[in-house]
Formats: sequence, C-alpha cells, structure tokens
Amino acid sequence: MTKHKHILTHGLAAIALTLGTYSAAVSAEDYTKMTPKALAEHLIFKAGGFKLDEATQEGTTVTERQTQDGIQKACSALGSKTIDGDTAAKVNAMARKSIVKPDGGIKLGDWKKGQALARSGFGFRVGHRDDDHSKREPGGNCYACHQLDPNEIAFGTLGPSLAAYGKTRGTSEAMLNYAYEVIYNPHSYFPCTYMPRFGHNKVLTQEQISHVMAYLFDPESPVNQELKPQSW
Amino acid sequence: MLRRTLFALPMALALGTTASAESDKAPEDVLNELINKVDSKYLTQSEQNIMMMPDNPAYWTVDEGEELFSEPRGPKNASLETCDFGKGPGVLDGAYTEMPRFFADTGKVMDLETRLIHCMMTIQGFTKDDAPVKKRHGSGSDMMKLQTYIASKSNGQPWNPPMDHPLERAMRDAGKELFYRRAGSFDFSCKTCHGATGKRIRASVLPSVEFPEEWTKAISWPAYRVGHQNVRSSQHRVRGCYWQMRQGLVKPGSDASIALISFWTDAARGQPAILPDMKR
Repeated sequence: MTKHKHILTHGLAAIALTLGTYSAAVSAEDYTKMTPKALAEHLIFKAGGFKLDEATQEGTTVTERQTQDGIQKACSALGSKTIDGDTAAKVNAMARKSIVKPDGGIKLGDWKKGQALARSGFGFRVGHRDDDHSKREPGGNCYACHQLDPNEIAFGTLGPSLAAYGKTRGTSEAMLNYAYEVIYNPHSYFPCTYMPRFGHNKVLTQEQISHVMAYLFDPESPVNQELKPQSW
Repeated sequence: MLRRTLFALPMALALGTTASAESDKAPEDVLNELINKVDSKYLTQSEQNIMMMPDNPAYWTVDEGEELFSEPRGPKNASLETCDFGKGPGVLDGAYTEMPRFFADTGKVMDLETRLIHCMMTIQGFTKDDAPVKKRHGSGSDMMKLQTYIASKSNGQPWNPPMDHPLERAMRDAGKELFYRRAGSFDFSCKTCHGATGKRIRASVLPSVEFPEEWTKAISWPAYRVGHQNVRSSQHRVRGCYWQMRQGLVKPGSDASIALISFWTDAARGQPAILPDMKR
C-alpha cells in the first residue's frame, strides 16, 4: 500500500512538474465533479493516460496527435448517433475550405505505385512499436476498408466497393476532381465519414494521391479488370 | 412421473443460472450458446478456432497461474490468497466479471491488471521494477498466468461491473467519451471499427459495441491469440487498438485505460463471459 501510494504520488508529482499549474493534490474523487467529456480530456492530457511527449513521424509529439481539430470534435460529439443536418453542414463547410489542389491540375500517376500504396498499412503508428518512415514509405491502406481489385479476396467492408471504379465512371475532369477531393478530405462529400483525410492530414503526398487515383482510374489497373474464373 | 419431470424443469432452468452450474460449462459451450441465439458473423468467423477451443493453449496458462496464485512469493513470502478482487479476500469465483470496480482501500476504480499489481506490491512486496510486476505481456509472464487463472473463474458468468459508486459511473462515462473520441493522423475512434456489426477490416470480421451478444466475445480477455501464439490481456488489446488508430501510447494501468475498459465491460452487461477465449 505505502509503496504503491508512493509511486502514484511520485508519478503525479512528475506530471505536476511538467505541467506547472497542475496540482498533485488532485484526488480521484474529483473525477465525479467533472462532466464525462471534461474527465476524458483530463485522463488523456493531465492524468498520465498517454505518453504525450513521444515524437511522431510528422515532427510533432503525441500531444498534437491527441488534440482534436474542428472536424474531429464535431464528429466525436455525435457519439453513437447518426449525423444531424447542422453538424453535416458545419463539417462539410470546414472540409470544403481545407482542400488544396495540386499545381498544374489533377493528373493520374502510376497505377503500380498506387497498388502498393493501396495494399500497405504501414505508417504513422507510434507507441510500443514505431513505424520508421525513413526505412519504408507509409501507405494508404485502402484495402483495409474497400474492395478494389475484384480478384483480391482480402478486402474490408467498412467502406463501399471500388471495384471497376474507372471503368464504370469514366475519367472526365469532373470525375477526377471528385475522386481527388474525396481522397484529400472525404468530409467534403460525406460529413463525419470514417475515412481518413489523406491529403489534409498529410498521410499521402500529392504525388502519392496521383498514384492511388491511377490505380482507381487507369484502364490497365487491376481495379478495372474482369473477375477471373476461380481455378479452385 | 411425467408431471414431476415437468414440474422440475422450470426449477432446473432457474438453478441453471447460479454460479456453480454455470462454471461447469466450457468456454466453447458459452460461445456456442450465443451462436445459437443470435446471427453474428463475428462470433462464427473462425470454425477452426471454435474447434480448437477444447485444446486452448490458454489452459496451460490457467494451470500455471493457479500454482503461482497460492505459492508464497516475493520479499514478504506471501501468496495472493488474501488478495481482495472485490468479493472478499481470496474469492475468485465471479470476481473478474464484476471488474473494473471501486476499491475503498485505494480509493480508485481498478481493472484486473491494476488490482493484481496492487496485491503483488502490497501483499507480496514486489516493486514496480521486479519482473513479476514489470513484465505484462506474453503467456510466459507471471502477469498473464495469474490474470488468465483469475479470469477463468468467471467463465460463463454475466458481465456485471458495479455502478453503485459515483467514481465507477464517472469512469464508465468518461470511457464512453474516449471510445467515441476521434483523433490522430487517421481521425479514428474505437467506433470506426466497432460501431456496426458484420463489417470487416481486410478479412477480419469486427465486433460491434452495440451488439452485446457479440461484444461479450470481443472483451473476453485473456484470450489465446492464434496469430500471436500468446495469451493476451484487456490492457494489451487497448494498447493495440490505439496503436492501429495512429493515436499515442496509452499507458498501462492508467485511468484512461481503465475508463475505456469500464465502458466496454458495461456494454457487454448481462452477457456471459468466455474465459479463456481463443481469438484469431
């Protein structure tokens, strides 16, 4: 008991030192006086819930990772509920403002590079094991949630199927623009979607987005091929 | 004779819900009853795992934990038989399914891992740097042996974390906030993967927090993870999920981790625990 208490107090004191204003005298009992939201924030940022000082691949620390921006806040506030009109309009407006188009227009890159990006779940993980971006390029992990190549059986279903994407939709300027914006910030069309903001959050570069788009639209891409008869 | 049998049947069914009768069930029986009751792709996703459950390698871990539990250990040469997991010193039957809970002696809401560590330090005299306390993961760790044994004593019991103390409710409610809180490079929250039933990440079927009959399997840790070839804990699952979400390292035993576990246990309330479980 005493040793345990000592460690706890020691831990709190260390936090108090780093935060300056935080008092080591804050007891767990005070939790009941906070709103659930305030307590959750307290547990993350002040009660030692996360290793906040760890460096991230984007050159910040975990503190910034855990800090929410406007879209994250608005969408989290929905909890288990489906989105309402006011939130949708607010989130959509924030998303529209965020979109940055590539210099020289939207172009399709190399579908083979896009395929590698769609398959790779590497990148941006921190904590007990860090993804070292200097050793391997981070990916887009599209297959975690979407079907793309109809002949790939290990695809997720959190997002819609994108099989035959270019084949069924064509490659008009409007279509390319739409796909780019969805990848850059999907909340511009689907407010509070589960899909990451690959461009806005700097998960994928402009060049990488062009490769992923080639994987979706290029007639040569496996995404736009027929389903092969099963050999088994 | 027939009348007597008919009369006795409701009695037997009523008695079937008591602790002694439930603990006779094997974990796979508990799972199969759920499968017969509801339609869930998550519960049925691995026929091979269900078939292997009678030979779950976690049973070795349970046996090793049972030995460790009663063995006098540590600087104080004491066993853990006086450790109170919420139902009285040394009482393990049904203790785990009623955790996390508030403990008056620490003034905190504690999950199984933090409570176990508390007892190892106070009763047995281990320090936080001693291997039995420090090493939290892997079937070979004392921590996983003890946790798996203690949890196995709640197999088939309905999850029933107490919510009588205001701190228990505060932690559960904050845990709910954490569950739905989006952050990090991918904007993910726990809901991203666990908000709907029947969805997949790649080939893995995901459990929904809103479907208690499948959620009970999701939170039935310790479980032997076939892909890891190790028994894993609730704390290991929390750490892994935050890592995959591209959020920061959640500290083991932190109030944030316990709040999340309080919420997720409450979400499975009333459903039987599958302990030890076997997962992909």
